[in-house]
Amino acid sequence: MIRLVDLQVKVGSFYLRDISLEVPSGGYALIIGPTGSGKTTLLEAIAGHAKLLGGKVFMHNDEVTGLPPERRGLGFVYQQYHLFPHLTVRNNIGYGLTGRGRQNGAGATRAEELAALLGLTPLLDRPVRGLSGGEQQRVALARALAPKPSILLLDEPFAAVDPATRQVLRRELRQLHEREGITTLQVTHDFDEALRLGDLVAVLSEGRIAQSGTPEQVFRYPNSAFVARFVGSGNVIAGIVQRNDSGEREAPFRARFQGENLSLDVVAEREGPAHAVIRPEDIVLSLSPHPDSARNHKEAVVVRLERLGPVTLVHLDVGRPLIASVTTASADEMALHPGLRVIIALKATAILLV
Amino acid sequence: MDLRWSRIMLAGLGACLVLFVVGPLLRLLLESSPRHLAEAVRDPELRASIALTIFTATVATLLAALLGIPLAYLLARRSFPGRRIVQGIIDLPVVIPHPVAGIALLLFLGRRSTVGGILSQMGLEFVSHVPGIVAAMLFVSAPILVSGAREAFRGVDPQLERVARTLGDTAWGAFRRVTLPLARRGILAGSVLAWARSVSEFGSIVILTYNPKVASIFIFDRFTAFGLPAAVPAAVILLLVALAVFLLVRVLQPEEPT
Repeated sequence: MIRLVDLQVKVGSFYLRDISLEVPSGGYALIIGPTGSGKTTLLEAIAGHAKLLGGKVFMHNDEVTGLPPERRGLGFVYQQYHLFPHLTVRNNIGYGLTGRGRQNGAGATRAEELAALLGLTPLLDRPVRGLSGGEQQRVALARALAPKPSILLLDEPFAAVDPATRQVLRRELRQLHEREGITTLQVTHDFDEALRLGDLVAVLSEGRIAQSGTPEQVFRYPNSAFVARFVGSGNVIAGIVQRNDSGEREAPFRARFQGENLSLDVVAEREGPAHAVIRPEDIVLSLSPHPDSARNHKEAVVVRLERLGPVTLVHLDVGRPLIASVTTASADEMALHPGLRVIIALKATAILLV
Repeated sequence: MDLRWSRIMLAGLGACLVLFVVGPLLRLLLESSPRHLAEAVRDPELRASIALTIFTATVATLLAALLGIPLAYLLARRSFPGRRIVQGIIDLPVVIPHPVAGIALLLFLGRRSTVGGILSQMGLEFVSHVPGIVAAMLFVSAPILVSGAREAFRGVDPQLERVARTLGDTAWGAFRRVTLPLARRGILAGSVLAWARSVSEFGSIVILTYNPKVASIFIFDRFTAFGLPAAVPAAVILLLVALAVFLLVRVLQPEEPT
């Protein structure tokens, strides 16, 4: 278990503020945020490399705030791997198993076991120079896991490998995580990774946690325009919410959302400035108007099609840009093409106001 | 002028300088016959002075390493107030003419000075004694060792120590198992250069300790007392020692990236 309580960290001219987060034992959490949001600094603070201005770090109910890195019992995999260039693959993996006060016999077995698990056995006696990015990443992972840490910190572990290797590594990592039952905290700028790997995700923005929850929750119910845009929840439109005259007294109430060149019927909790988040899959396209239960019907022109395998993103112009998604099969069936006039339907309840 | 001619001109200018360095050395090597050299090697005075030179240069280098490697690490890794000033002070001996260094050391370590007086009472005499040679050598060679070691430490990614720490090493353990082995070649190369600098020192030693004579003073002494022919064999032997050391440095130094 990792528990962070009101962490305050300063690194150079950069601050992390009020970071509170709990990763349950055996959980897999991801911290996502744009470059420069303080992700790496946060990991270094947890590992004990960065000095805290305030707050506490707990691991398995023990406070470790003042402990040096070597007494925290965690593994750390860096983005650039940082393998020891003067050691072989075997000695890199075994590094944490040897040295003062650590026995050697069991260490050799453990290093070989991990190497076998990660397909590194043929490379064991090679120097680390000349290994491919994927191989280096596996060595770095094996090295961090060898001393059986109860906590694993990963800093953008897949940033520097090609997409195919990334997929394989992700799968291996998830398997290792389950096999070793290790509490994992990973940093990434890629929300897709969070959706695939994490039980828990925290979105970091300018040194603060903007939102945390399950990846599904964060994706479906972003709590701010920033999070919605960052995780790619869908169309984010700034505007103003006004209560309908005939509407209910109590929240939620029916209301009008007025954005730039777009007015929508919505269900709102409060009035005033807001952002509307519209997921592309909630926009229904048709070629001719036909009655349905959706409250919003608009005319739109197809601007561009973006085919992503089974799904096609349809870039529309409704007086402002809007992106819808349809299955590629139905895009073909409707013969969607740039310049085509279509009708879009959108349920009032599908529009999230943040 | 086309590209070919400009290249030939650049090569020609460079060749002049290369010949100017190689020429005198070759001339010196050819000046002495094997018979003369054999005789010189048997000369007990020359042998004693070369042994003294190697001994004092080794002691000076060990002292410089003991005191300088930790400093080099601090300069490479830590930022502290006055770091630039410390760096400047360490580099200072490089720009001071060696006889000036000798006079400064004489004033500092002479029996009538405060420091020299205290050390003298503890039985450590500098002027006209072996420790004087070591002191002069240390003064002129320490900057070379410190800057060599500093660059060697700078070349080691500091993140590697952090990785070692998360793998259970203490700060000292990480230094000993990661940084030191990775910087070792550079430190060794810097030490050998510092040693060679000590062996070649003349200007400050001649003021502090003329006797017992180190090799460079021995050669100077032979030259002034008996003329060129008497100085040549000793000079050749010292040159050969220097060349051997130079080769060693070349082998130790990591290849420069091109």
